[in-house]
Formats: sequence, structure tokens, C-alpha cells
Amino acid sequence: MQNVHTHILANGLTILLKPMHTAPVITAWLWYRVGSRNEGSGITGISHWVEHMLFKGTPDYPQGTIDRLIERNGGYLNGFTSRDYTAYYETLPADRIGLALQIEADRMINAVFDADEVERERTVILAELEGYANHPATWLDEAVHAAAFTVHPYHHPVIGYACDLHAITRADLYQHYQTYYMPNNAVLVLVGDFDPDALLATVVDLFGALPSGPPIPPVRAVEPEPQGERRLTIRRPGAAEYVQISYLTPDCRHADFAPLLVLNAVLSGARALSGGGVPTNRSARLYKALTETQLATNVYSAYIPSRDPYLFELGATVRQEHHAAEIEAVLLHEIARIQDQGITAEELARVHKQMRAQLAYSSESVTNQARMLGTWAMLDSHTRAATLLDELAAVQVADVQRVACAYLTEQRRIVGTFVPLADAAVVHEQDAAA
Amino acid sequence: MSYPTASLTRTLRHTLNNGMTVLIYPTPDVPVVSVRGDLLVGAVHEPDEQLAGLAVFTAAALIRGTQRRSFQQITAEIEARGCGVSVNAGMHTTNFSGKALPEDLPLVLELLAELLRQPTFPPHELNKLRGQYLMTLRESEQDTRYRASQALRELLFPVAHPYRRFASGTVDSLQQISRADLLRFHQYYHPANSTIVIVGAVQPEQVLRLLEQDFGDWQGTTPTPTLAPELPPVPPLRAIRREDVVLSGKVQTDIYWAVPGVRRTDPDFYAALIGNMVLGQFGMGGRLWHALREQQGIAYSVSSGLEAGFGAGPWLAYAGVNPHNVERAIEAVLAELARFVEQGCTPEEVDDVRAYLTGSLALGLETTGGIASTLLSIERFGLGLDYLDRYPALIHAVTLDEINAVARRYLTLDRYVLATAGPPASAG
Repeated sequence: MQNVHTHILANGLTILLKPMHTAPVITAWLWYRVGSRNEGSGITGISHWVEHMLFKGTPDYPQGTIDRLIERNGGYLNGFTSRDYTAYYETLPADRIGLALQIEADRMINAVFDADEVERERTVILAELEGYANHPATWLDEAVHAAAFTVHPYHHPVIGYACDLHAITRADLYQHYQTYYMPNNAVLVLVGDFDPDALLATVVDLFGALPSGPPIPPVRAVEPEPQGERRLTIRRPGAAEYVQISYLTPDCRHADFAPLLVLNAVLSGARALSGGGVPTNRSARLYKALTETQLATNVYSAYIPSRDPYLFELGATVRQEHHAAEIEAVLLHEIARIQDQGITAEELARVHKQMRAQLAYSSESVTNQARMLGTWAMLDSHTRAATLLDELAAVQVADVQRVACAYLTEQRRIVGTFVPLADAAVVHEQDAAA
Repeated sequence: MSYPTASLTRTLRHTLNNGMTVLIYPTPDVPVVSVRGDLLVGAVHEPDEQLAGLAVFTAAALIRGTQRRSFQQITAEIEARGCGVSVNAGMHTTNFSGKALPEDLPLVLELLAELLRQPTFPPHELNKLRGQYLMTLRESEQDTRYRASQALRELLFPVAHPYRRFASGTVDSLQQISRADLLRFHQYYHPANSTIVIVGAVQPEQVLRLLEQDFGDWQGTTPTPTLAPELPPVPPLRAIRREDVVLSGKVQTDIYWAVPGVRRTDPDFYAALIGNMVLGQFGMGGRLWHALREQQGIAYSVSSGLEAGFGAGPWLAYAGVNPHNVERAIEAVLAELARFVEQGCTPEEVDDVRAYLTGSLALGLETTGGIASTLLSIERFGLGLDYLDRYPALIHAVTLDEINAVARRYLTLDRYVLATAGPPASAG
């Protein structure tokens, strides 16, 4: 990713501008370094709730006007919250981008957090949580993550716990907003059909006078070295058994990040980190071991770049004639095979070509490019978007075997299983909104 | 207001001797190629309900082996280069697509031709694929949104109508489908019913040479292709019909409301499109979003939809709510529909939607895939390569009175269907 202009304003706002003239479109992304990682006990889900409140208006853009204005100008917008960051974006015809910048500059400090709006949003978010809970695999995923992190806030889901969502107050939300929403904790990413000097002038005009704030509270939690395998079983109504195996692994700034990314691609295909790609899993190891043998479907592995050490995960849906224990054994055997014999040079070359293609597909859209730059800016530095292919090219066959041995160990793993309950055995349903 | 012009008139349109339509749109600055295509063969051509899912299964099985390559060889070859090749089917069409770096376009076209023309449907591969489909269908059977949508279609469409079921078939029907059925169904694939669109950093003459080489001698097996059959008439609704599906282990209920809608080529289409956006799309989700999410705070997901394709699918409203709020949510949806029908859209609302529909054209053409999908749809519905140039005028020609008249005619509040799927009432 070449050609990124970087500026840091006096108030601490970082601005990344990448001109791209293939279509008359510009995307604006405002990223904040806040997510469920920054939440303590009792306020889980608060970062995501704050994100919802930023669509509820400011004195200049009252409730209901932000969505309408962006769409009326031919654009689309959204926001999302993850473990490590919160992002807001608008993609618009190029001559309309000023509107997005005005809105983002305004709602960085002027969001209202009206008390009645807070109450209405409480039940909207509980409905969002209940929608996720309708999928059996959600229960397994949340249990595995809770078991994987005993100290670090990656323990709880981004959406939060229902008990906290019932209890969080307007004052809690507003304090969270004031703590984290300030120029020195934000990165503005602009990609598209513009002249960087002219657009920078507009940005300086709108954001330059915003007050900076104190440094954000550090996340002190460090997940300690796991002391042995943890196993859990979730029993609920469902259509199939699921297996999920997760290993505590280093964050994206660690030297072993690239070899772990290659390991993930060898197991289930290389993919871009920002959407727009093609499936490359059917010639990879896990598909051959589990789908081709008709033991399982939806076989996956995942290794996502994170700010703090997170997880390398494997999983599958168990075919009806089989059981979770068989699938677990095969998944562990595939890991052991790499630990014992390593990967081949051919696999390594394939991963590199796949990643090159996936990044090209992903780079077609200004929206995906900005997502890629911003994600890396949040986690480490935006320059990682440009160096990722070189990082992968530097990985040797032996590195992949080494990281498999170092991190995918019994001691570091959580093995979770979802077992469907027969209808007659359904226990009294816990109401997530009770 | 002036928007950037969105035009696809410089597309090269060509017909091969076998009748296959070719559209090529070069984007020299983008180092990617997207391929999109379709055949006029889908679930509506299935011989009977016992074999529901045959079109989808046939399309998915093409990649499972050809006269020249096994499934494993195909996936190894394309994935080693980071290419994508896929085929899937829906109600009326079978769609194929490919994605590649420009250097790999020849391989992608060669493989697409092989899949469409020379599949062998190896029995052991069909078993594997069937097993995967059955797992997916079993999971769908416990999915509230799937079940509510399925119930809705059964209430809306008569027994013989293909829209009564999903194109993906059922656990029972998938088990009935034999290899012979696939071979027979594949005979409906015919070049004269097919379009292929190629967008990316390509030289049109070179692409045409590749297409002649890969598809030029494809003749199909039937002398005259079987075109889309007439759909059975949908009898008008005479009352309110409702079904509630109970699923254990759920904490949210999905609700669908619907009436029969319009075809894509219906004169009412544009009025319905704009009306539907006001009702449940614009500004994240229109009036329904405003009422159920912003004012009452009872739904996270709420919208309306218009399934307007070759045939008239449902015009529907959707909301996912806590089981305690089901009746309240239904009342709120009905109240919004009543207000919409009785008072109509306001000029401001229609103006907003017109501005969105015309202003967002450039965004849809941002990627090679977006351009290719737009061109395929233009070709399929006979809209003409100047369609995007005419589009703003088409949208602005629809009057407020026409939109409100269409809303009154279709959104009948004394005759509609309603389906819910969620936990037992007592468990909520």
C-alpha cells in the first residue's frame, strides 16, 4: 500500500490520506482506540453502546438526520465496535465527502446522549444480543473465550453481558465517551478520488480546533501463561455438534505474527484481513482432513491480528453420523502433523500467491483500503498494510513448524464442544433480557 | 445537484455464433478481473416438488469433476493462484462467477467453460456434497429467520407455485435427487440462454479470442432451449393468514409480514421500489426502523423488502424482537403500514429516496465485481447499455401520486400473511 500521506495535527489527531482515482468515490473512516478491551467488570458492552449513541445525534445534527443526510447524498455509512477499536465510516460520491467530515468532527465531542434515547437504545442492544443468542454456535464461542481469558478483558463479548446492559447508566456512557473520544486517541483515514493537499486543508479546518484530552487509561491486564488444557461442553437445543479449539497466541506486533498467519493459511487458505476475497480453503489441510472425509462441514481456522495476545482458533460443524471427539482428534492430529513434519515449500509459495491475489481484490474498493489502513493503524502502524506481503515472504518453512510447536500446545488450548439437547431435555429457558 | 456521471455505454457487447451473449468492460487501472454470468435455468424448471433443490444441487455439483479434471485438481489449480470460480443457482437463473489477477484470466475462463459444459457428476463426490447440504439444511430448520420466511412463502403462494419453497430444497427432497436427475437437468444448460460479463484490466480482443476458444463450439444438448416457464397464477389473498412456528432454545422471535409484490419488468416496479425504500430501507430502515427501533426501542433488525425479479416475489416487512414484544411489534408494523397507505409518502421522503437512488450509482460501480453485476442485470432484464444514463430520468419520472397509488393497491391491510418463529410463548 504505497502513496499514503500522513499528518499529525497539534491536537494529536492522526490523518492518513491515500489518493486513488479509479472511481469518483471517497471514503472517510474515523477510528478510536477503544473497544471491549477497555471495559472492566460491570460495564461490559459500553464501548459498543457508545458507538450506537453516536448515531443519535448532536445539537447540529439531531437524532435521525445523520443517516438521512449521508444517504440523501448518495452515500452509505455505518459503525462497528471490536475488541480493540471502534470505527465510523461514510463512503460518498467524491464531491460530497465534506459532509462526512463535518459529521465526524462534530460527533467526536458534541454527541448528546439524551437520557430517553439511552433508554430506548438499551432495549435495542438487548434485542441485538438476543439475535446473536438465537444461533447455537454463539454460546460455544462465548464460553470458549471466557475460558481462554481469566485476567484480560478479551474474556467478555463485545456486545457485553445482559446484566451490565440492564444496569449501565447514561452517566457511565457519557464518561466512557469523554474518556476515549478525543483527537489524540483517533485516526482519520481518507481513501479515494481527491487531491491530498486540498482535502487535508478541509480536515484541518474541521478537526484542527478540537481540544485534545489526557492520555487514555492504560489496559494493565496481561493474560498469564496458561497452566494446562481447559475443556468445556455447552448443552442447548441445536441442530448439530460443534467443536472449537482455541490457543493463546501472540499479538500482531510479535515477530511470530507472520509465521502464525502462514500457518493459518496452510490450514484453511489465505485471506485478506479486510474482505473482498475468494475462498481458498478447499485445497488446504483442514478441508482435506475433515470435509473430504465427510466427518465435518464448515471447517475453519482463524488467526486475527490483535492489540494484545489473542487466539489461534480451529473448529467445525460435526456431520450427523459422527461425534465431536472424532473431529477434535483429527484437528489435533493435523496440528501434530505440522509440529512433527512441518509444511512444504510448495505450501509456502501457494500462501504467498494467494495473499497477493486476495490483497489485490481487497484493494479494489476505497472502503476496504481504508479499513485495512485503519485496522493496522489501530493495532500497530498503518505501514503494516504495505509491508504485510514482505513479512510473509520472509517466513521460512522452518518458522511455521517452530511457531506451531511453540504456541499450539496442550497447555495453551481450550477445547469447547457444543452438544445439542434433545427437545424433551430442554431445561427452563434463561431469558437473556429478564 | 450534479452527481458524477455513471455510464456503462462503452461496454463491448458481442454475441457468439452459438447465441451466448458477451459483455466486456475494460478498467485498465484496476489489476483484477471479475467474471459474472448466468444461464436462464433455475428452480422454476425443476420437474416436480419431490426434487426441490435440483437446480441448486446441479450447479454446486459442476465443480465436483469434469471430463478433464477431478474436484481436487480444480480446487488445487485455482486456489494455488488465488483465483475464484463458483457456480450457484436460484429460482430463475444459474449464476457463475470468477475472480483473478489479469494473468490468470485464461485459466478461470477455461475452468468455467469446463464446469458448465463437461461436468461428470462423480457419484462419490455427489454423496459428499449432499451430506454438506443436508447439514446446512438441518441447521436452517432450527433457524428462526429461515423458518419464519419459509412459513411466509407457504402462506403466500399456492401449492403448485415454485416460490412456495426455497430454491435450496429440503432435507427430504435432497435425499430424493439422483445422479440421473442431475444429468437430465444439466441438459437445460444452453449457450443461447447464457450471458458472460468480463470486467477488469483486459484487452477486449484478447478476451473474445479466449471466449471463442473456450465457449465457441458449445452447442448445448437440446436444439431449442427451454425458456422460463409461465408461473402459476397467485390467487389474491382473501383474508389475514398467520402461522407461528415454535422452536426451542431461542431467545428472539423473527416476524415477517407480506403481500404479493411486483415483477422487475412490471410498470409498477419503480413506484414500488421508491415506496419500499421510504417504508423500510432509507435512512438505515425507513419508517419501520424509525417506529420500531428509534421510537419504541424493541428491535435491532427491522426493514422492508421487495423481491422483484423475473416473477413477483413477496413485498415484505421484517423485525426480530424479544418474545414478550411479538404482538406489540406486529401492531407497530401494521400501524406504520396503515399510516403509509392512508397518508402516503411525503414529497420530502420521495425526494430523499430519489436523491439516494441516483446519487449512489457511482458507488455501485466502484469495483470490477460491482460493474460486472450491474451489467449482468442490465442484460438479463433487457434494460439496454444506456440504462444508467437514463436511470436518473426514470427515477424522477415517478410521481408521488403513482407511488402512493401503488402502495394502496399492493399493501392491503385486510388481506396479508404473517409468520413468526421463536420460542414457545411461555418461555419468553
